[in-house]
Amino acid sequence: MPDRTVTARSGRPALRVLTAPVEHEAPVPTVSFCSHCGARPAPADEPPSSRVCGACGFGLILESRADVAPKPGDAFLVLDRSLAVCAVSDAAERLLATREPDAVNRHVTDLLMPADAEERGSESLSLAVMWAARGDGGRRSATVRPANTFGIRLTARIASCGPPRAALLVLG
Amino acid sequence: MRYLKTSEAAALLNVSPNTLRAWERRFGFPKPQRSPGKHRLFTHGEVAALRDALQEGLSISSAISRAREGLAADANSLVGALASYERERADAAIEAALALRSVERSVEEVLLPTLEEIARRYSVESAAWAFAAQWATDWLRRATRLTPPPVRPVSIVVGDASRDELDRDAPYIRALELFLMRAGVKVLSLSARGVAGIGDAASVHRPNLVVVAGGHLDDDTVARWAYAIRLAVGAMPLAIYRRGAERPRTRGTGTSVLPSGAGEAQRMLLELLESDHMIAVAAAAGAAEFRAQARSIRSNH
Repeated sequence: MPDRTVTARSGRPALRVLTAPVEHEAPVPTVSFCSHCGARPAPADEPPSSRVCGACGFGLILESRADVAPKPGDAFLVLDRSLAVCAVSDAAERLLATREPDAVNRHVTDLLMPADAEERGSESLSLAVMWAARGDGGRRSATVRPANTFGIRLTARIASCGPPRAALLVLG
Repeated sequence: MRYLKTSEAAALLNVSPNTLRAWERRFGFPKPQRSPGKHRLFTHGEVAALRDALQEGLSISSAISRAREGLAADANSLVGALASYERERADAAIEAALALRSVERSVEEVLLPTLEEIARRYSVESAAWAFAAQWATDWLRRATRLTPPPVRPVSIVVGDASRDELDRDAPYIRALELFLMRAGVKVLSLSARGVAGIGDAASVHRPNLVVVAGGHLDDDTVARWAYAIRLAVGAMPLAIYRRGAERPRTRGTGTSVLPSGAGEAQRMLLELLESDHMIAVAAAAGAAEFRAQARSIRSNH
């Protein structure tokens, strides 16, 4: 343990602030996916002319971390920083018994609730979504259940997505 | 007002025409009108609003929601203008609505919902309602004066059974008249109170259908008026509009009950007129054929 007590010019002992060493993580690869069907457009040399998904026509092409981005058929939601629902995949429509046009602009807790028994606190889901929606590059997870349904536990992977910046919540 | 065909709207949104039709089915937006040939006609304003919303959207649903909010701003600004008794601002708000929509949709989606909102907030006994109803009636009458001459060979007499301009049904009746005239129908609107001389008016106008609109006058007064018309020009179809749901007995008499929305009522009336006109044409053709056959039989004998 190095002695971090140093002597100032005045001769009095003082503490020197040492910043923690920065860990340089390898950049996480990102992938594109449709915000409704989860299909991943084939990589092309030129950027696509339209953001609308060519597979289903009901979603826009977004980007997210490859280890969180949904695959076709996954249930997922896209939320903004106010926790309002912006997109619902077709699998999530079936899982949560809703339709995207009805769910858009509603608060996420109308569809999903933190599963309190597994969670440290009810804030963890909100915090995770807000951090992701602000563009935090990390990956988080939370245990949730469909609103008004008990006995079902779903693990949600949460990460940033966009553009524009938003939170992606993939239900496992 | 600029209209776009499906292919033009799809090109502006950078999607295929099939995708655009799928959005219309799923989201009801953008909502096209139909050309006389039944082709879709999208308003440029709606398509442009959606194109802008798609740039910043996370899904088609959220983009459509944002585009709709932008379009609903017209109704909100009209409510604000009328509630603060500002005629010029109200004129500007409806002009802004007309920049994005047809006259029919501006009336149905902005003007009439605005009046409903004023009535809900302040009641129909308020000064705000008096101002709003009068402004709306003036605007609808002005729009009616600007309609082109009738092109369809059909005419309608509207018996106005509302109280006065401040009656809650009055703007709907004016809107229905406007929509019918814009569809090329000849419309004569008269108060259902005035029975004297109604026969002359009906003889001159020769209506194909009579509409009794509004719920203020009692059934006896309306029946006397309708009977006077029937005496002058004979039996003809009768439709009632916004007479209230408490009069179901009229349904058993062959009278058509029109939907309360002005646009839906106009469409139903046009269908009724179309079917009646077709029957009349077929009957006339049948009679001519019968006369021709009779002539040929006579000449053979």
